[in-house]
Amino acid sequence: MDAEAQDRFREFVENRSSALLRTAVLLSGGDRHAAEDLLQTALVKAADRWHRIDEPEAYVRQILYRQQISRWRLKWRRRELTVAEPPETGASPDAAPDAELRLLMRGALARLTARQRMVLVLRYFEDLPEADVARVLGCSVGTVRSTTHRSLARLRALAPELAALGPAEVESQPPSRDFSPVEVRP
Amino acid sequence: MNVEELVRDSLRELADEQTSAGPGLADRVLVTRRRRRTRRIASVAAVTAAVVAIGVAVPLLDSGKEDVRPADVVQKSEDVAHPDQSPPRDLISAGNTVLAAYYVPRTVKHSAGQAELVRDYWLLDQKTDTYVKTTKWSYVAVAPGLKTAAVLERELPASRIGMLDLATGKVERWIELDHKVAGLSFSRDGLKLVATTYGENPDQLVKTEGSDFWDQKQPSTRTGFYLLDTLSGKGSWSEVKLKGDPNDPMGAGFINARQDFALSPDGRHVWAGNPMGDIGKQFYDFAGAEVPVPADQKHLQWYVDAWQSPSGSLVAGDFAGKKWKTSSWVIDARTGRKTEVRGQQLLAWVGDTSLIAWDMGPDSKNEFHQRLVKVTIGSAKTVPLSGFRKGNDGDAGRWEPVFAER
Repeated sequence: MDAEAQDRFREFVENRSSALLRTAVLLSGGDRHAAEDLLQTALVKAADRWHRIDEPEAYVRQILYRQQISRWRLKWRRRELTVAEPPETGASPDAAPDAELRLLMRGALARLTARQRMVLVLRYFEDLPEADVARVLGCSVGTVRSTTHRSLARLRALAPELAALGPAEVESQPPSRDFSPVEVRP
Repeated sequence: MNVEELVRDSLRELADEQTSAGPGLADRVLVTRRRRRTRRIASVAAVTAAVVAIGVAVPLLDSGKEDVRPADVVQKSEDVAHPDQSPPRDLISAGNTVLAAYYVPRTVKHSAGQAELVRDYWLLDQKTDTYVKTTKWSYVAVAPGLKTAAVLERELPASRIGMLDLATGKVERWIELDHKVAGLSFSRDGLKLVATTYGENPDQLVKTEGSDFWDQKQPSTRTGFYLLDTLSGKGSWSEVKLKGDPNDPMGAGFINARQDFALSPDGRHVWAGNPMGDIGKQFYDFAGAEVPVPADQKHLQWYVDAWQSPSGSLVAGDFAGKKWKTSSWVIDARTGRKTEVRGQQLLAWVGDTSLIAWDMGPDSKNEFHQRLVKVTIGSAKTVPLSGFRKGNDGDAGRWEPVFAER
């Protein structure tokens, strides 16, 4: 990378790293340290191919997604997750105010598999259409749809306080065939 | 509020709480990049050692006065190209550098989470000058001269090496080993063979729950290398332990699952890539003790398959192009001076002035749509040698070349 390319790279990182970090934090289930590692690794890869990248942000995001569901991160980069409040059970859903529900939701999101969490981030944070999510993940639209449903169902299972929330269609899904365990953190 | 809205709100709230990435991130990335040398970490590792037998140690300077090889193996000028064939059916060569074989990797699934990368080879039948498929071997290294190939049977790591007579297709001799091997590499003069030993098959793949992608099984189980005399089959094994924690993917002790050893281009050391190390490679003496990188080989990059030119004066370097304009560096081994040459990835030297490379078509914007070409230092001309490979990197049906010098 020559000096001019390095300057362009620095400018890109300065302008876009905060937005990219936000996505990385969400993909990492709220683990800021893991997110910073994830972003740095993605930026290193982008720097390697800097001279050939037309849309750096799209490229880095793609790496973030791919990297997050790769084995490396799951096996080695897993670390203790600090959740503001663990999901609790038994409370009346009616009694939970929105702020509390959001905290419960955060805890539940952090306990999804990386892939389940990524589908939700792409659908509900990045607001990508299902077809675009499918393209990002390299799977069919049907898989995106079923993973989304299963992920939402898993959230409800993890935090029963969320069970009273709509819509009904999630409830009508057949039992999950995704037998993957919730990520267990050491 | 429904569950989707709560997911949306919770994600946005968490995102909004994040402070900026902090100053100096770009510079940290650039420093890390220089250290890591992770380019093509997984895919190239499987290719490198198979593509080394491309030259001879005898100097081949432009005057030819130091070329002491017999007259029947002096540099041939003609190129044999089949730009309509991908994968090739008929002989491809440039000068004395011959596409001696190629392989097509495929993933054999053993369970939902376990698989294996398997190579199916097509070897050059020198009677018909065509490539003939064989499924007997898991790994093939072709010796210079194209008379012999060292082969491993299907199950890796293997406890014996076969020395295959390429004229008859029969194994002339088996070399039985105490330590199991999974990688083979001839010296440039063909007199020595380095076999890399592993505790497990380095081509195992694993898929983590929730992932769509197969990844190499880590950590690497590489244990050391045999240095064998090709003619007698005798030699010794050296243990090579990595410095640092092999489980730390950012640490200097981390290597690819398959990170094979090979003779250095000048035949004086054994070397291997070290993707996370400070200098990206490690050199060893023949007993397995690490030694400093020789001055004239400090520009070698393990993932650039062409390595050093036959005379040792030039080293094939990394991609030098920009966006879709492809070119690569050729580096003066002594001074480090860089010269740009056509080609996307430099694969094998053709004498000291030309190379065989992968390259895209002139107006292509698909970096994986590549064909073999011959490029020449100081010339903008490329000579197509094969048809274009289809699919993206890692897709089924991609073929990988194995070159050897006549």
